[in-house]
Amino acid sequence: MEKTLAEFQQSIIDGDSERTEALAREIAGDGAVAAEDVFASLSAAMEEVGSRYETGEYFIPEMLRSADAVERAMAILEPYLFEQRHDQSGVVVIGTVKGDIHNIGKNIIVAALRAAGYEVHDLGVNVSTAKFIDKVRETGADLLLLSAFTTSTKPALMDILETLEAEGLREGVKVVSGGASHSQELASEVGVDGFAADVKGTLAVCRELLGG
Amino acid sequence: MNGRERFLAALAGEPADTLPIVPVVDGFYAPKVIGRDNDECFLDGDCMAAALTAARERYGYDGILAEMGLGDPPSVLGCPVEVQGNDVPLVVETLVDGPGDLEKIGTPDPWAGGKMEPVQKVVEAAAGRHAVLGSVRSPFEYAATVRGLAGFMTDFYRDPDFVHRLIRAMLPATVVTAQALAQAGVDAVVIKDSFASSSVISPDHYREFAFPYEVEAIAELGGEVPVILHICRNSGPILAQMAQTGADALEVDSLVDLAAAREAVGPGITLKGNIDAVAVLEKGTVADVEAAVRRAAAAADGRFILSSGDSIPRETPDENLAALVEYGRKYGS
Repeated sequence: MEKTLAEFQQSIIDGDSERTEALAREIAGDGAVAAEDVFASLSAAMEEVGSRYETGEYFIPEMLRSADAVERAMAILEPYLFEQRHDQSGVVVIGTVKGDIHNIGKNIIVAALRAAGYEVHDLGVNVSTAKFIDKVRETGADLLLLSAFTTSTKPALMDILETLEAEGLREGVKVVSGGASHSQELASEVGVDGFAADVKGTLAVCRELLGG
Repeated sequence: MNGRERFLAALAGEPADTLPIVPVVDGFYAPKVIGRDNDECFLDGDCMAAALTAARERYGYDGILAEMGLGDPPSVLGCPVEVQGNDVPLVVETLVDGPGDLEKIGTPDPWAGGKMEPVQKVVEAAAGRHAVLGSVRSPFEYAATVRGLAGFMTDFYRDPDFVHRLIRAMLPATVVTAQALAQAGVDAVVIKDSFASSSVISPDHYREFAFPYEVEAIAELGGEVPVILHICRNSGPILAQMAQTGADALEVDSLVDLAAAREAVGPGITLKGNIDAVAVLEKGTVADVEAAVRRAAAAADGRFILSSGDSIPRETPDENLAALVEYGRKYGS
């Protein structure tokens, strides 16, 4: 299965959706691969795609092609990964903040959190402050995860934090921001409880904040 | 020479008394000059015309970029556009999700609802003393806008035939809007093809999906109005091809070296650019603006128009825009 997982990773990098789907079916059918290895593989693939973009080998359409492959793989793998979830209570509201339409990283995290046993409410991309606040209130969320890929979304992050405070919701919910461009510096400035730059880091910070 | 004569001379490769200066001051910056928010002017043509005219009066550059606001074809075709405060106008719902939606695309009527009025007002106010430039988007960029950028570019690999059909369906939007601008009296039309930049798509995809439709649009205009082709960020790898589109000038951004650009495009086409609108004009100091203008003027030859490489942000300090004009005159003479 190690070989299949490596091929799965490569097929995402190549943006070969059909091959990715076939390999995802193989992984789900075999049933021997641990969920965390699947997520590590997905993350590694997207990291390589990102680095090819940085070096000018890939452009936006090639990134989107790989993101499409990930989405198709997730549609097949989610039920399988879900079976492996551990009992771990926690309600999560997640979305990409207003002004940002990146959803690849967020979608992987949503799947990883569900697989880890969280009840996840995904609000999608370009989400307004009001939508986040309403959902936190409605679900009594323990965690609010704010995905923000670009640094220009800092005002949106701050607006959400300020509104949570003003609405008297801030004490009841831990807020985590995440995205490739995140740093401790940005997180401190904005005033979130934690931040993460990748899937593994997000799972770790969620566990830590909920004392699990 | 007045500003308009100076601009037209540089466009035609004829001698001008000094370097023409036509920065990209559009609906992002101009409303600030008359104390209005960008959304007010985006939704109100009189406000936009007044803002664009007032900005030129204040800084004294040689040409105005006449913004159409809601006259832009995606709005005219029925794409809901949202603009709040000083945010960038955002298409909030796409018009086309798949091949079945192609029939929804008609040919927009740029004159409907008085939407060309701001342009006409700017032309009247200019009264031939300075140039007026209109702006449309390329068929490629209109297609990306009505489809949504992510879906559009995912289809490059999934369904390239649909991508071609969609871009072709948007060709009339570019052409009729450019023709309307010409009738409204603009001196040149800027065709914006920002998503075709090598910062976004590969040069191979540019050649496949963007270039052929730039050529067709410009050919259909048949010389009715001079065309400036704008591709921002890095257009270095595709400049030689851009020079083959039939455009009279190419607008290049700060990532492009002007001397290298001239070498790539040859002597027969005007270049416009390339001061960094963000790092230099918005975030830089007056000294940074002076240095950038001096560098650009030194690299300029007879066929050059000094400009920002892209739209000037609203937060740009007044003194930096004033410095662009002051040092443009100083080093361009």
